[in-house]
Order: sequence, then C-alpha cells, then structure tokens
Amino acid sequence: MFHYDFMQHAFIAGTFVAIMCGAIGVFVIARGLSFVAHTFSHIGFSGAAFSMYVGIDPLNGMLFFTCASAMIIGRLGIKKFRTESVISVVLSVFLGLGLLFLSLASKQANAISSLLFGTVLGISTAAVIKLAILSTAVLGVLVFGYKMLSFDSFDPVGSQAAGLPIRFISVGFLLLLSIATAEAVQIVGALLVFTLMTIPAAIAQRLTQSISQMIFLASFLALVGVLLGLVLAFYTKAPVSFFITTIEGIMYFITLGWSARREHRLIRKRQTAIL
Amino acid sequence: MASGIVIKNLNVNLGGNRILQDLSLTVKPGEFIGIIGPNGAGKTTFLKALLGMVPVESGTINFEGGNPQVPGSSMLGYAAQSRQIDEEIPLRAWDFVSFGLPHLFRPWLTQQDRQKVREAMRVTDSERFADKAIGKLSGGERQRLFIAQALVRNPQILLLDEPTSNLDPGAQENLAEVVYSINQKLGITVLLVSHDVNLIAKYAHRVMYITNGQHVLGTVKQVLQSSVLTRLYGAPVEVLNIGSKIVVLTSAANNLGTSLCLHGCCEPEVVNNVSL
Repeated sequence: MFHYDFMQHAFIAGTFVAIMCGAIGVFVIARGLSFVAHTFSHIGFSGAAFSMYVGIDPLNGMLFFTCASAMIIGRLGIKKFRTESVISVVLSVFLGLGLLFLSLASKQANAISSLLFGTVLGISTAAVIKLAILSTAVLGVLVFGYKMLSFDSFDPVGSQAAGLPIRFISVGFLLLLSIATAEAVQIVGALLVFTLMTIPAAIAQRLTQSISQMIFLASFLALVGVLLGLVLAFYTKAPVSFFITTIEGIMYFITLGWSARREHRLIRKRQTAIL
Repeated sequence: MASGIVIKNLNVNLGGNRILQDLSLTVKPGEFIGIIGPNGAGKTTFLKALLGMVPVESGTINFEGGNPQVPGSSMLGYAAQSRQIDEEIPLRAWDFVSFGLPHLFRPWLTQQDRQKVREAMRVTDSERFADKAIGKLSGGERQRLFIAQALVRNPQILLLDEPTSNLDPGAQENLAEVVYSINQKLGITVLLVSHDVNLIAKYAHRVMYITNGQHVLGTVKQVLQSSVLTRLYGAPVEVLNIGSKIVVLTSAANNLGTSLCLHGCCEPEVVNNVSL
C-alpha cells in the first residue's frame, strides 16, 4: 500500500488535516459554530467550482471564498441575533455563485463528485506540501492563541470582563476555521467536513477531564478515522469519506452508549447509598 | 496594593434611558462599598461603566495609580453576575481560574502562574475542588471560582456583581465572609453589588443605594433610613429593624396599583416573594 505515491500523499495530507480538524473542532463545539463550519464547507465547494472555471488550484479558490465569507460573517454577524441570518444569506449567495461557476466550467460529473466527497487519493505532492504548511500554521495559531481562545470560548463573559480583544478573537477564529475547512474539504469533501470538525471533539468531550486532554483526544480520534478510512478504502475500493464518516460515527455512538451506562450506574449507586 | 476611584458627575444612557445620573463617588483605597437597589436600577451598568464596557455620556472616572483601560492592565478584577458555562464541557476548576492570568500568548503556566492560581483558590477556599469539572459544581462553588478568576490577576479593585444571588442563606454568608477576608487581609478595594441589604450592612464600610437613576451614599445607618429612601424613591419607604435584620418596605404607587415589598430579600416590584 505504501509503495504507491498517491497513498503516501493521502496518508501525509490526511494526518496533518485530521490533527488540525480535531484540535480546532474543540473550539468549534465550545463556540457553537458547527453550523458555521458546515457553511464554510459549502462555500469551499463554491470556491472550488470558481477555481475550475478560472483554471486555478482548487485549494486557492476554496481559501479565497471561505476567507472572504469569514470576514463578511465576522464583520456583519457580531451581534448574536444577527449571526444566523447573516450566515444564511452568505451561504445562499456563495452557493448560488458556486452553481453558476460549475455550469460555466462545464466539467464532468466526477469532478463535481470529487468536490463534494473529497479527493484525498488523487492529491499531488504540491498540494500535500501546501496542506502541511497550512495545517501547521493553523495549529501554531491554536497553540499560541490557546489561552485567549479557550478563555473566550468557554467563558465569554469572563473574557470580555478581563478586557480580552473579543472582536479580534471572534473574527480571527472564523478566519482560522475558514482555512481549516478549505483544507478538510480536500480530504472528506464539502458535504462531510462536519465529520472531522465535530464528531471527534464531541466524543472527546465525554471522555476527558480537561480542555487540553479534549484537544489531544479529538485530534487522535480524527487521525484514527482518517488513517483507518484510507486503509479500508485502499483494500475495498469504496470511497474514503464513507469509511471516515462511518468510523467516526461508530465511535460516537459507542461513546454515547458507554456514557449513558456510566451515568445510569452512578445514579443507581447514589440511590443505593441513600437507601 | 489597593487603589481608589474618583467618579464625578457620571451620566450613562442606554437605549435612550437615563440609567445613571450625576453619580459622584470617591472610593478610598481598601474600602468595601456595597451597592444596592432594585432590579434594573443601574447597579450592573455602574460596574460596567467602571470597566469601560458601556459608554459614558458625560462625567469622569479616575483610578488612583493607573488606567485599567490600558491593554494588559490587571488593575480591575470583575466577577460578572451571570456566566454561560456549558455543563458538558470538561473544564476543570483550576483551568477556569487560570484563564484570569494576565498573559495572553503563552499556552503554558510558569511556576509563578501556578502559585498565583493556588493562592487565588486558597483565598476563596476553592482548592478542594480544583480538579473537578466546573459544570459539576454547585452555585456557591462556582461563585468562589468566579471570584478566584478575578483575583488571580492580582487586582487592586475587585468588582463583584451579585455573587450571592441564587445561593442559599448559608452559602451567601460563607461567600460574603470570603469577600470580606479578601478586603481585610489582602487590602483589595471591593465594590459589591447585592440585593441582600443585610449582607451589605454586615460587611460594607459604606453603602450606595441606586434607584430611578438617582443614588444616595453613606454608611449603612445614614442610607438605610426611611426619610432618605423615601426621598430617593419619590414614594413612601419604611426601613424596619426586625431582630438583627434590616427590612426595607416600599409602597410604590404604579400602574399595577400599590405594591408592597420587602427590599433586601426581593425586588421592590415583587410582592409575594419575601424571605427573611
């Protein structure tokens, strides 16, 4: 399996993107931005359609579109009551543009399918390098902005009172998320970015005792899903995204069942102690 | 080191409503000021004006020995009234307190940082649940953490917005003792907003009563008098001493008819929610 260049590329790119998605996913969940991550992935699709039309690297188009939409949402949607409507409008406009570019580009159905469901097995060396650099940059910002981002994500009232630059943090995180989403679209596709952004973090939330543990476990679980998905896809010829989403989904439901049992046992233990 | 505040003719308008009107107050370093008044009177707005979180229409606020608006300043410590804490998030009490440390770009804690967190938790008697998830803690335990987070910055002035609300009487008393010991032992200036006039009366050096955009300031005995509060409310108010407790009765003629309230335990508008 590792004799093939395309598999080596897939493993390297998948590793970087999975670790980054797991880590950023913790903050996506804490800040309640799952819908925004979903929005960015669809906007990324439009960006890729635009790239097809003008003939540039799809990642560049995705980054351009997702970053532009992050700035718009960040600028217009600061007030909570306005955020959802701004996101919906931005998503609609960018999706409309995506459809336009797709029809203008007149590419074949498999190109569209790649955009929607990922292209990790056909990734070039240059794209791997680009993904590795971007992922490392995103992780670097997460490491050095960890304190500010954690404070603002888990205790927004406290962070504002402590004088943190909350507007800068909000817009900065949206930009970071837009970059991460554009990268993840390459691996799992526009429709399934949710998988790596939210499921590992949601599992880790139930199994860990601290934020740092949650970040490490979420990254590890995202990595397990991606690597195992690649191996299974290689031997079965079924789509990688299918395996990644299925593995993450199974892990989530197992965790959910296990935590429910644990809580049930705790309640019974308490009841016994009272009696 | 404690700091004082000199506030002159402070006016704050929010949404076209005059919230604070010509408020003047000099807070001495190390003083414990209790701020009381009915809901919506402007108590939280006053604290937010000090923090620079709401715009001031006119007037001046001068802090002795520094400017808390300078980025990175840890002059003020603030524990807000309500916090959005997700109960499912595995956020340890220790981590929550360490959020308050003033450094921004360093992801790890130094030995000195750890010492500060330990000290803030010791002072607020919250060390025993340092490793527990904040979502699993009681209201009183969380309030101790909110104060510890504000304290970990080594502030000169501590602003506390209703830290005792939603706590049972025992927990209220314990928390008030913690705040009092912070003021007395660490010498930190404290401005405490509370609905509980008796708690304020027991610990505060001076009291500021805010209502209808007006305020009155003085010692507990000076402020909590029928004549003073009647003038402030513009309606008959009676202050009673029942045993060791102070009870403020307002008879406010309004559109709903005449309402009777025991202030200090409930808002003046509430009639049937009285506890002593």
